[in-house]
Amino acid sequence: MTQYAQTQTTVSEYSELSILQRTDKRDIAYVVYGIVILLMVVCAYLMAIFGWLPHDPEEMQLELMLAGPGAPGHLLGTDFMGRDTLPRLILVIKAYFVPGLMYIAVAILLGGIFGILSGYYGNKYETVVTYITNIIDSFPRLILMLLVVAAFKPDIYYIMMVLGVTNAPLVSQLIKGKISMLRQKNFVESAIALGIPDARIIFKHILWFNCRSYLIIQATLGMGEAILLESALSYLGFGVQEPTPSWGNMVQQGANYLLQGQLWSSTIPAMAIMFTVLGFYLLGDGLNNMLEGKRQS
Amino acid sequence: MMVSRSAKPVVLYLTRELYVTFFLLIGVSLVVFAVLYSAPGDPLAAVFGGQVLSDAQREEMMRNLGISNTWYGQYWSWLVKLFNGDFGTSLRSGQPVLGEVTKLAKNTFYLTFGAMFFSLMIALPIAIYLAKRGTDRLGWVLMMFAYTTSAVPLFWSAYIVIYIYTRFFNTLPIGLATGESMNFTQMMLPVFMLGLGSGIISETVRFLRDEISRVFSEDYVRTARAKGVSVWKHALTEALIIPVSEMIASKIPFVIGGAIIVEQIFNWPGIGRMAWQAAQDRDYPVIMCITLVTALIVRLTSLLQKTLYVIVNPRASQETKTS
Repeated sequence: MTQYAQTQTTVSEYSELSILQRTDKRDIAYVVYGIVILLMVVCAYLMAIFGWLPHDPEEMQLELMLAGPGAPGHLLGTDFMGRDTLPRLILVIKAYFVPGLMYIAVAILLGGIFGILSGYYGNKYETVVTYITNIIDSFPRLILMLLVVAAFKPDIYYIMMVLGVTNAPLVSQLIKGKISMLRQKNFVESAIALGIPDARIIFKHILWFNCRSYLIIQATLGMGEAILLESALSYLGFGVQEPTPSWGNMVQQGANYLLQGQLWSSTIPAMAIMFTVLGFYLLGDGLNNMLEGKRQS
Repeated sequence: MMVSRSAKPVVLYLTRELYVTFFLLIGVSLVVFAVLYSAPGDPLAAVFGGQVLSDAQREEMMRNLGISNTWYGQYWSWLVKLFNGDFGTSLRSGQPVLGEVTKLAKNTFYLTFGAMFFSLMIALPIAIYLAKRGTDRLGWVLMMFAYTTSAVPLFWSAYIVIYIYTRFFNTLPIGLATGESMNFTQMMLPVFMLGLGSGIISETVRFLRDEISRVFSEDYVRTARAKGVSVWKHALTEALIIPVSEMIASKIPFVIGGAIIVEQIFNWPGIGRMAWQAAQDRDYPVIMCITLVTALIVRLTSLLQKTLYVIVNPRASQETKTS
């Protein structure tokens, strides 16, 4: 009896510790860093919504143009019109947040449909799905976005839509791999034998019970890319339009003064982009190693 | 598909790939057409000075100009024009688009493939180191370096490099478009920046690391090692040539995308800068042509990769997959 209890504790101890034991300490550090960045983003969003900004983002101080960080009253310096950088950095999150979520929704929905069709139903749809994803993969994203911008109008929602569609092949490929692996498992076969409808097997037993961490990882990895591409488009002048600040157009405005030696007003937003994107990348990768156990080194 | 015994399987495989590429290009043209077709604005009204046309007038005019009523009719005539090399004329310059684009495509080609080469030169040693040694301290630093290159916005790092260059050499490394003479360093700077900043290094490192360590744990590599012969000689094809060519084929669209930004900053006369200008002017024949040309480049690279794959790995032609 005692022996039995002892085994119980060891097993439960093991299962409690295992996820931390199995993963590298570095992966845990990545995840922690990524979560900190994620929390900062959420905080910035709330601050921007409720207007709890440390300074008025529109107020211009012409005697304090292009100041570096630590200028009196301006923690991160000012831009070329003497506007404080910090509240503008925070305001950007509001412009990014909803389009970013839409992008993730489009990518996962479309990629999910493709992945389910080719992974679960196999041969019947595989050719069609491969054909469509190959077509999408043929376009350089930025060029496709420029085409859409030229045909319609420069709008962040259009851009995020294109980004979502172009990211769908990747998501579809991953989901397909996962589903066709799970399809062989006994629990799916027994579910089919029990006469459970396909939709319930796919959504509940495969996607929800076995793929949700995977989808979250994909979403975080995609988020970093979305920020980079959006800022690149803002730099080119087609992303978030003036006077709404975006990290891309803040860097671009600062860069006009860069050759005169005024480094700070473009460096600060560029650093914001870098740390955030790095946060999303590391979070995605760390979670991947932690939950999926990709690396057994 | 019926496989005849007389033809070589490699030839059959490549023929099928050619078919697939052809149909994919048709699909690509359909997507481009769909975007342009659904764009707002009325070209017919624009021809007649922006007056609002009634349905009867419109019908009349379309018949006179020989424009089809249906979308597939319009698509077909558009496609026939494309096959005859008529991509329309630029709204801005009035010149035929295709000539201008092919003239500049050469420069973008140098930039893109040079950058690809640089990226691989950086990513390969890191991947091999990580595959052989795992993430020790130096490996971790290299890995973080690879991540950081993918996270820094390219347009900012390019500006910083230009700034540093001007401080040291007192000249700007830009101006190929204006016909100024440029030395080798000035020519290489954009290529190097695109290679470093197009964001493909971290993914390349991860992919190659996983592939190399997977291949190196296979039985035949262990046998080779036990026999004392060179491991790389045996594993070269599977661990290096195939994954690297796959990586090049799948990442070329990203590098072309980054080329838009680099060409913009370094004043490099290529189709990326042209695409930007066209999007600014809403000069859609130009951007349509550039989209089609870049998609063609991507598909041809992919075809080349498949050819290489089937040459170094003849077994692949036996696979009866339906893609």
